[in-house]
Amino acid sequence: MPIAFVDILTDNFGEWSSGFWVTVRLVIGSFVIAMVVGTFVAALRIAPNVWLQRLGGVYVEFFRNIPLLVLLFIVFLGLRDQGIRIDAWTAAILSLGLYTAAYIAEALRSGVFAVPKGQIEASLSLGFTYSQTLRRIVLPQAFRTVISPIGSLVIAMIKNSAIIGASIIALGDLLKVGRILNSRTFQAFPSFFWAAVGYLILTIAVTIAIRRLETRYAIRR
Amino acid sequence: MTAPAFIFDWVPAENNGRYLLEGFVINLEVAFVSLIAAMAFGLLLALLRLSRNRLVSFAAGLWVDVFRNLPLVLLILFLTVLLKPVREAWENAAPDFLPESFQSGLVVGALAALILYNSAVLAEIMRAGILSLPRGQAEAASALGLTYAQSMRLVILPQGLRRMVPATVSQLITLNKDTTLVSLIAFQDVMRRGRSVVANAGNPFTGSKVEAPILEVFLFIGLLFIVVNLLLSRLSRRLEIREQKRSGTKLQRVEGLEDQIT
Repeated sequence: MPIAFVDILTDNFGEWSSGFWVTVRLVIGSFVIAMVVGTFVAALRIAPNVWLQRLGGVYVEFFRNIPLLVLLFIVFLGLRDQGIRIDAWTAAILSLGLYTAAYIAEALRSGVFAVPKGQIEASLSLGFTYSQTLRRIVLPQAFRTVISPIGSLVIAMIKNSAIIGASIIALGDLLKVGRILNSRTFQAFPSFFWAAVGYLILTIAVTIAIRRLETRYAIRR
Repeated sequence: MTAPAFIFDWVPAENNGRYLLEGFVINLEVAFVSLIAAMAFGLLLALLRLSRNRLVSFAAGLWVDVFRNLPLVLLILFLTVLLKPVREAWENAAPDFLPESFQSGLVVGALAALILYNSAVLAEIMRAGILSLPRGQAEAASALGLTYAQSMRLVILPQGLRRMVPATVSQLITLNKDTTLVSLIAFQDVMRRGRSVVANAGNPFTGSKVEAPILEVFLFIGLLFIVVNLLLSRLSRRLEIREQKRSGTKLQRVEGLEDQIT
């Protein structure tokens, strides 16, 4: 590699690493929201009441079929235009979190259906309430079967977080740093290359972590 | 400030609705062209990855893993900058019969990125489809004296590719959504058009008197995507069921693939 190529990274390492951590924080924040909301929506989807199921279904179909960029525009620009001010971080984490929650909900739901029906019947006949059954019997197992799909969703979140940096919400994430370096140094290839390396580090790290978790906890059905 | 009430009176006014719908068609065209090219390129990558030559399969695997794990939007911005000479050449060479948006040089970076990314994703889907076939199929084919190429073409691919139809349709849904990202390089798609509808709203200089709130404009655009994508997912489910009926067995879905999303 020519020296200048590496220099782009070493000269701007402070900016690069701050961009890296912005991306990490975005993903972690959105992941927390996605897990909480996703679990709730999954619970709606498997609720004994048809209307609750439909409500969960509408959530999933809305957020799975709308482009994330459109969602960002709605949350950030659209609501602000209506006088509802949401700061950039909240808007970013909320959009990415709510979007991914729909996929988490579907993953959890399929995990729940993978728990044999007899266990649920047994638990109900032992006098557990519906929510106890869900909390104590079904969900702990469901979470373990869905480790790998959720891992894929985290990787997708890492990639999707770049959309935030590239669109209106400028938080200074990895991609944004890459673009800033490009416009300052006029060296497109190294600027974007180092941003890409940052994303690959994250996605590869998550892939390895998921593989570890899987061999320890996963229940294969 | 008035209370947020949804009126959507800007949709019929000043041809706004039609303007956005035409922009949406551009997105669908971009998605369709990318899908076709990505399927061809993805099949090639899948076959290379399954190649018995270690080096070839390693190189194809590395290529697929790198492009699958990069953010699509990074590729779009990157390739648009990188392919500047190609862009300029295309602007001069683009034939007139193409839609206007496809004659712009910006389409080069957009399509290159969409095809690169999606071919990597589809290659994995195709590989999984091929590998999900029982081993006996390939063994039987070679025992019958078929060459490797013949057994691929006549036995393995027709069955393996059929299994990946539902996954491919889901990928098309993702691809539809991803086409909005081309607006970030100023490609005139539905998102850009949405922004100009907003900018012209209630603007005395452009003669537009109906105000189009940003929220309503992008909800409208979002609904366009939701409707088309819902229809596609219904189609995917129906194809799956039909396939199950025809073969009399439960079709094995190719599942567990990341990038079904994005």
